[in-house]
Amino acid sequence: MSAATAVLRRFKFSREMVLLGVLVVLMVVMSLLSPLFLTVGNLLNTSRFFVEVGLMALGMTLIIITGGIDLSVGSNLALVSVAVGFSFAAGLPLPLAIVFGLVVGLAAGLFNGLFITLLDLHPLVVTLGTFALFQGLAYGLSKAEAISDFPDWFAYFGQAYFLNVVPGQLFIFIMAVVVVWLILSRTRFGRYVYAIGNNEEAAHFSGVPVRKVKLALYSGIGLLVGMAAVIYTSRVYTARGDSGLGLELDVISAVVLGGASIYGGSGTIGGTVLGVLIIATLRNGLTLAGVPSTWIVFVLGVLLLVAVFLNEFFRRREE
Amino acid sequence: MSEVRAPTTAEGGTIGAALRRWLVRPEAPALVFLAVLVVAFSLSSNEFLSGSNLESIIVSVAVLGTIALAVNQVILCGEIDISTGSMMGLCAVAAGAVATNTGGLILPLLAGVVVGALAGAVNGILVTLGRIPSIIVTLGMLYALRGVILLVTGGTWITGIPNETRILGTGSMLGIHYPVFVLLILFVVMELISRHSTWGRNVFAVGGNRRASRLAGLPIDRVRFLAFVLVGVFVGIAAVIYLGRAGSVQTNTGTGLELQVVAAVVIGGTSISGGRGSALAALTGAVLIGVILNGLILLGVPGIWQDAVLGALILLAVATDVLRRRLLGDKS
Repeated sequence: MSAATAVLRRFKFSREMVLLGVLVVLMVVMSLLSPLFLTVGNLLNTSRFFVEVGLMALGMTLIIITGGIDLSVGSNLALVSVAVGFSFAAGLPLPLAIVFGLVVGLAAGLFNGLFITLLDLHPLVVTLGTFALFQGLAYGLSKAEAISDFPDWFAYFGQAYFLNVVPGQLFIFIMAVVVVWLILSRTRFGRYVYAIGNNEEAAHFSGVPVRKVKLALYSGIGLLVGMAAVIYTSRVYTARGDSGLGLELDVISAVVLGGASIYGGSGTIGGTVLGVLIIATLRNGLTLAGVPSTWIVFVLGVLLLVAVFLNEFFRRREE
Repeated sequence: MSEVRAPTTAEGGTIGAALRRWLVRPEAPALVFLAVLVVAFSLSSNEFLSGSNLESIIVSVAVLGTIALAVNQVILCGEIDISTGSMMGLCAVAAGAVATNTGGLILPLLAGVVVGALAGAVNGILVTLGRIPSIIVTLGMLYALRGVILLVTGGTWITGIPNETRILGTGSMLGIHYPVFVLLILFVVMELISRHSTWGRNVFAVGGNRRASRLAGLPIDRVRFLAFVLVGVFVGIAAVIYLGRAGSVQTNTGTGLELQVVAAVVIGGTSISGGRGSALAALTGAVLIGVILNGLILLGVPGIWQDAVLGALILLAVATDVLRRRLLGDKS
């Protein structure tokens, strides 16, 4: 057993080293493609764009470790954005509107969780349904209009600089990383997450409260989506029904790239953070190099496939 | 109608037993729901129950229904395909490009079907040989194929599709448009394949119990691979219908279609976990979506609510499926 865990640890260690290597190579390539890339200002600015994906990826890591998935995160982000913007436009004070948005995100996640656990449905189907439902609600409730007359202080969440260089939301992300990492690696709840992913039935018969854990996970990612949505809305300074369109691809790609098995049972927060950084570097570098955004989506789609394929290839060779 | 009021207890005699047998059929709830909706809409709007409106509903779901008939087989295998939106766009680009160069119907149709089959084969190979879950494969392909469309077209529209190519979408016989015939013919073909061919039966076996199927010696990889290729072929046919009806191809052609297709299949009653369903379920689901969208327009609901209705329907359908099986005590 101890030999097995030692091997496992070495494998994880080397995997994260590989990801770090990929990140360094990418940064070198990108700095060759565009002289603007490797400047402190740009690197820090990049963090503006990955914090939203990163927050959602943290929750997604835990969900994928249990063998689940949440396809509705992008739509939920749009729903929260609309909830914040339009409750504010309807006269709610902005702080309350933000709280309301977070509650909506949490409730949307809870809705997913209840549907999945009470009916024993595969998360894939449920979140495919809520992917359309949340997106449709965001469009319908906003009547496809945009709200952008927020007070100046709202910009704090998405546009503020700390000491004039460090984007404010980077601190929120770092805090979230630490909290989720502690939960996953240092608590009983974290062990439950891995146990469910390795063998849900065995976990259930060993007394793991499978349903409660899942309910907590899907609600938790809802809350993280809510936070991401507030930052996103503040960054683009607009609440619209099509915010976050397609973000689920970035989020899932980042987690899978970070080494979480799509079949559940394995994955780390460190890996996910590296995955998020790699995807952010790719997006930012390709944008600076003048590659059209549709091509970047193509690259991400292929990257997701390659990453999953390599994951499962190496896993099979291990066994 | 008297049957519906017959006793439904387990000991309720032959009528009850027959009703019970009918109710456990996968497409039963969808058919009942469809009947209720048709009655409700005809009572609330005079235009609804006219022959031309009913025909136009079926024409409007011909593309969706054609693809749903094939995706139905993939879902019966216990897999899923959410790449069909981009795939349809790519097939339409291929068919449209050939049509503007050569004209005719056969060559563009062939181009669409071949491109679709190739894309479907990539899905199938990645799922079977690559052993990547189909949701991830087809999610990646959804984005990758959209990229290919932009690469091929350079972001420009394809217009000026000759009339002889468009005939599959616009032509009619005996006052009924060709898309209706195409849809019904493909439906009959799929029913026959499902009931009477080895592959058709294997699809149910693989989706019902993959391990047992493997132990029984069924070629589970080949069965699933063929299902993905079939989706490509049907998407190719659907793309030519689309081409006929729309007359042009844009870079965003087919966006969001994948969701409607999956919705049609599960709303119709095919179980999302595989092994249980029918071609009739896929057809019923597609028509149901057509009736609902048509009804929403008649009721004056703005089009932006369409996604929300679709999502709610998917959730309602899967929840009904679970509850019905619990109520009927059907563990399979």
